[in-house]
Amino acid sequence: MTKKRVGIFSLTCDEGCSIYMIEIFNQKLLPWLTKMEIVHFMSVSDKRDFKDLDIALIEGTVSSERDKREVEEIRRQSKILIAMGNCAMTALPSGQRNNFDAEKKADIQKDVDAYNLLPKCLALKDVVKVDDNIAGCPIDEKKFIEIFEKYL
Amino acid sequence: MHSCDLNVSINKLSKIEGHADLDIEIRDGKVGKVDLRVVENKRFYEQEVKGKPAMAVPQLVSHICGTCSIAHLTACTEAVEKTLGVQISPQTLILRKLTMYSLMIRDHALHLYFFVAPDLFGVDSALDLAESQKELVHDALHIKEAGNNLSTLIAGRSVHAMFEQVGGFAKIPDETKIPAMIEELKSIRAAVIRLCDIFLNCDWVLKRKTNFVAIATKDFSYLEGVIKTSAGEVINEENYWDHLHSVVIPYSQAAAFEFEGKEYMVGALARLNLNKEALHADTKRDLAKHLAVFPSDNIYHNNLAQAIEILHSIDHSIELLSTTKFKKEELAKPARMTGEGVGVIEAPRGTLYYWLGIDEGKVRYANLVIPTAQNLINMRSDVREAVVEICADPSASSGQAAAEQGQKLWEEKIKKEVEKIIRAYDPCMSCASHFLRINWV
Ligand code: SF4
Repeated sequence: MTKKRVGIFSLTCDEGCSIYMIEIFNQKLLPWLTKMEIVHFMSVSDKRDFKDLDIALIEGTVSSERDKREVEEIRRQSKILIAMGNCAMTALPSGQRNNFDAEKKADIQKDVDAYNLLPKCLALKDVVKVDDNIAGCPIDEKKFIEIFEKYL
Repeated sequence: MHSCDLNVSINKLSKIEGHADLDIEIRDGKVGKVDLRVVENKRFYEQEVKGKPAMAVPQLVSHICGTCSIAHLTACTEAVEKTLGVQISPQTLILRKLTMYSLMIRDHALHLYFFVAPDLFGVDSALDLAESQKELVHDALHIKEAGNNLSTLIAGRSVHAMFEQVGGFAKIPDETKIPAMIEELKSIRAAVIRLCDIFLNCDWVLKRKTNFVAIATKDFSYLEGVIKTSAGEVINEENYWDHLHSVVIPYSQAAAFEFEGKEYMVGALARLNLNKEALHADTKRDLAKHLAVFPSDNIYHNNLAQAIEILHSIDHSIELLSTTKFKKEELAKPARMTGEGVGVIEAPRGTLYYWLGIDEGKVRYANLVIPTAQNLINMRSDVREAVVEICADPSASSGQAAAEQGQKLWEEKIKKEVEKIIRAYDPCMSCASHFLRINWV
């Protein structure tokens, strides 16, 4: 059996979902490793391979041009793309600047311009087609196992 | 000695928290620029918290960082309590210590097994060790699981915990689960001692004199005490800011700090150097030869210090869980709704400082000092030192014949060494990218 090629990606966020996923690994990593190969996950590996992925898990909100290009490229390379956590699904909480009042918006405008940030933080579904969602902040453990195993 | 020029660039360092790039310039065999840039996209917490109800802000800022969210939650909770005159109960203090211990166990284990161990065994990833180092990987998963379970039992969850609140805990731990938790903690002690042995026997060395800074807590519980430095200063928590000086690093999305105008280091190594006597008696008994290493100027001993802190966190947790009878308590109430206050704790990566101004229950401003931001300048100096050592090493010389290949090897060697050093600090770039500006309102 060929192993599923899995990539895990972090956009703008606190990486809480992938950290929590590593906690889910405490029980599940060894059995899952018989079925998958993690080819991209900057937290645990220096491999930068994200060609021909079977499953892409993405956490975080799309807040910059760089984030946007990355998601589009991941989409081109992946059979199944899963939004992992509330930031990826809805842009919140990490995209909290979307809800700033005029005064706070004016206060951050310089940074938005200087760092090439998008005018508004986006959910993944605003940028690419998303095949499945795992809600939670961080991801719900049971849901993650259920959805991930469906594609594994 | 090499006489040639070289640019070493690392685009997104792996196996750290968050994103950072590194550029090193070597001209004529001499180290020029060393640029360590934090490249996190800002999430604007300094603006977000303004005007928010003070009681809700600790949960909000816990989202600054995934892995050490409990540290932000705890430091900010303490800052709100100090500001509003909330007196917490002895039981709340015990629950808070247990919460911090659960964080230390899983966060240090994540760093040591997943970020550092691959360098020890010459592989890319801890996942590559699942076959060749079965015991090590099992140890890693068991230790992390115990820390995660302790977080769940005491604070509700390991990431963005729900029970810890201003004035106390919303829930007390389920009594029926405590005996099993104690057994689980006891069962991982041997694995943690194996981990301490690995880092005691590790021959990595990079020594450079610096100033170490940490809160010296009486029972090594990361929460309350005076701030000490290896240069001999003793500072009350609320005065810490007066000794710091914020430095802007060009092109980086992070603040950096100096202490009394000089570089310094916070974190596990600083805590062990300044306060090892306060560790739990069982830890001291079983790790006597490991503890003899401290005080140490070797930055790689930060890894050993973290491993020792895991054992202490287990031992003190076992004691607290076995000797406390938890009972339901009301949350302690604020004495006032306006004021200014400071909360300081030891997070896994070092001293974490929150300064809040609150007006009629709403946050007017917040100022934070984050561990990684305090270590950035020291880290950069260590990276420079390591590259200077490599360039001065005649055995690294390539010879004329294979100059091009030699250059590649040289570059690889530099990359490997500097990544090892940066990882030894366990930096968290997600955290470091916040509160770059000071909001003097
Ligand atoms: S959903 Fe929550 S835990 Fe997940 S990345 Fe966003 S802020 Fe972090």
